[in-house]
Amino acid sequence: MQRQRLRSFIAICLLPLSAVAASTDGSEKKPIEQPAHDHRGAKQITLENGEGATITLWKPDLSTQTLNLEHGGITIPKTGLDNYHAVVAEKDWGNHKEAVIRYEYMFGRPSKQSPSKLTAVEKTDFEIVPDPIPREHYRYHSLQTWGFLVRLHGKPLSNLELILQTTHGSQQTVISDQYGRVEFQIPDDFPNLVAGERDKRSAQFTISSRYREGDIAYQTQLNADYRINPTHWQSTQLGLWVVGIGILAGGYLGRTKKIKEKRT
Amino acid sequence: MSTWINLSLLRKLVQISAFIFFVYGGLITGYYLEDKISGALPALSCAYDFQGSDLCTLIPIQHQMDHRLGEVIAKGGNLMMGIMPTLITLGTFLIFFVVLNKAFCGWICPVGTFQEVMQLIGQKLGLQRHESLPKKWVFRLRPVKWFMLLVLVFGLPLLTGIGMLNHDMGDPFCRICPSRILTTLATGETSQLTVDTANTTTLVFSVLGDFLFGLIIALALTVRQPFCRICPMLALHAVFRKLGFLRLIKNATPRCDRCGLCAKACPMDIHEIHTDMQSRNVTFEDCTLCGRCVEFCPDKDVLQLKYTFIPVFSSSPQYFKQRKKSQTQWERKNLISWFKQFRSKTEAKVQ
Ligand code: SF4
Ligand code: SF4
Repeated sequence: MQRQRLRSFIAICLLPLSAVAASTDGSEKKPIEQPAHDHRGAKQITLENGEGATITLWKPDLSTQTLNLEHGGITIPKTGLDNYHAVVAEKDWGNHKEAVIRYEYMFGRPSKQSPSKLTAVEKTDFEIVPDPIPREHYRYHSLQTWGFLVRLHGKPLSNLELILQTTHGSQQTVISDQYGRVEFQIPDDFPNLVAGERDKRSAQFTISSRYREGDIAYQTQLNADYRINPTHWQSTQLGLWVVGIGILAGGYLGRTKKIKEKRT
Repeated sequence: MSTWINLSLLRKLVQISAFIFFVYGGLITGYYLEDKISGALPALSCAYDFQGSDLCTLIPIQHQMDHRLGEVIAKGGNLMMGIMPTLITLGTFLIFFVVLNKAFCGWICPVGTFQEVMQLIGQKLGLQRHESLPKKWVFRLRPVKWFMLLVLVFGLPLLTGIGMLNHDMGDPFCRICPSRILTTLATGETSQLTVDTANTTTLVFSVLGDFLFGLIIALALTVRQPFCRICPMLALHAVFRKLGFLRLIKNATPRCDRCGLCAKACPMDIHEIHTDMQSRNVTFEDCTLCGRCVEFCPDKDVLQLKYTFIPVFSSSPQYFKQRKKSQTQWERKNLISWFKQFRSKTEAKVQ
């Protein structure tokens, strides 16, 4: 019984609605373009296998609000505050506790709060925290290396296995260091990339871990979106060439002036 | 006064410290935008530099034109709500700006400092340093900064917000700003020095930005402050310059014989400093309050840097003498003169 519950619970996952749309229509290439963070209203995310979970919205000022699961979806209400918010879904089976966290950027009036406050605060017993979370208006991209912290009751856990999995099937395992920190390079695993062409697709990654303290088993997940690294359509080498041409043009202009000056 | 201790040296020290602070200071102030000092600094400290301690006014203004005012106009909403964020940004800008006025350019801006370093390198390499641009060019270039401010910072982003241009035109000045490439390169990040082939807009702007950066590097070796002359921040400063506490004051007494040394010393080639005998506040729109004109004015108290009513630095014949001497000595020391000396020494030995 316990096992079944556990199994069903492992699949708990917070996803943005766009991701669900993209994954159900079967088209891998270029789903409906969803400009990230472009609306000031409410946002919808889905919570898979979330029945019975306690869902809490953490706002940038660290105030909280309980949210409800309706037809497998959660509506993050318009909070009026700009900046990252955290949605935390928790299930407590007594001797087994599970949590899944997703950070969502909401638009509104300036919150005047640093996202470091939101990541620093203990939102659930066992949690994986971005360290740092991408700066406002930025996002995770493939090929980039990002750091994460794993904490139990707010204290870092060293020597713990963390697994990163993407919706494209990539997987990496890393062990946390003495400060409870790990770094993952986000896989560049989008299929059908065309070199030189901008591609706005996004996918999701999950970082998960398990820990046992006494007779309580903890399990946690961090969900986030990632996008294709712009280096697929941006070339530094070409950039250097253009800078070189600029230098030559500047040198020529300076030189011409010098000659003219000497003549006068 | 020792030959080498002067206002220019003090300014260089301030500039280098400000460069380090604004380019790498995020390690102290923090990584997120909310941790930054003002979010609307009156100098080109770049938001793309994650290690930076602040960001310049021009980036929020472009975003607000695009995402706030433009959207409000397009959707027919409350215009005041669309303008409010820009007013708040300009208000924050002003709180900082009044303290130092245009000295944010002459003393603080990382791009200004970079151009002066390039000029120094050019001078030490013995590349001929142009004391000034021809008057004709100075006058021709002056309107460009207004074009940059009105079109690239306000106009195009606003049209983008209204929906008349594609999304990539939302921040056109940032796309060509040399600070974006300079400050990120300074932190070891090459992601801003690219040619972006996503579409025609990104391609054109990225090529323009990279080309401009190269052009500035080379031109700064021979022409003083080439980018400052077309910088939209200089134009924004010009709008509010009468509000700043720090000012350049001219006491146009008969002691001023219009020798023109001040204008010759000015890195922005403001000829009016020596010709204008009417204005008292001579903080002209291109002035960066560097104070060089005051240093090189040989007449007592004719030029002054004043903080509100208090003179903080005044021209004087003694200072002028020392300063001119140190400048001559400094300019004499360059690669070509060292090479000539070396050659004459070896020739003498051979004989
Ligand atoms: S005018 Fe020059 S010093 Fe002033 S903000 Fe522009 S680049 Fe910087
Ligand atoms: S007018 Fe004077 S203070 Fe202003 S930029 Fe020129 S030399 Fe500097």
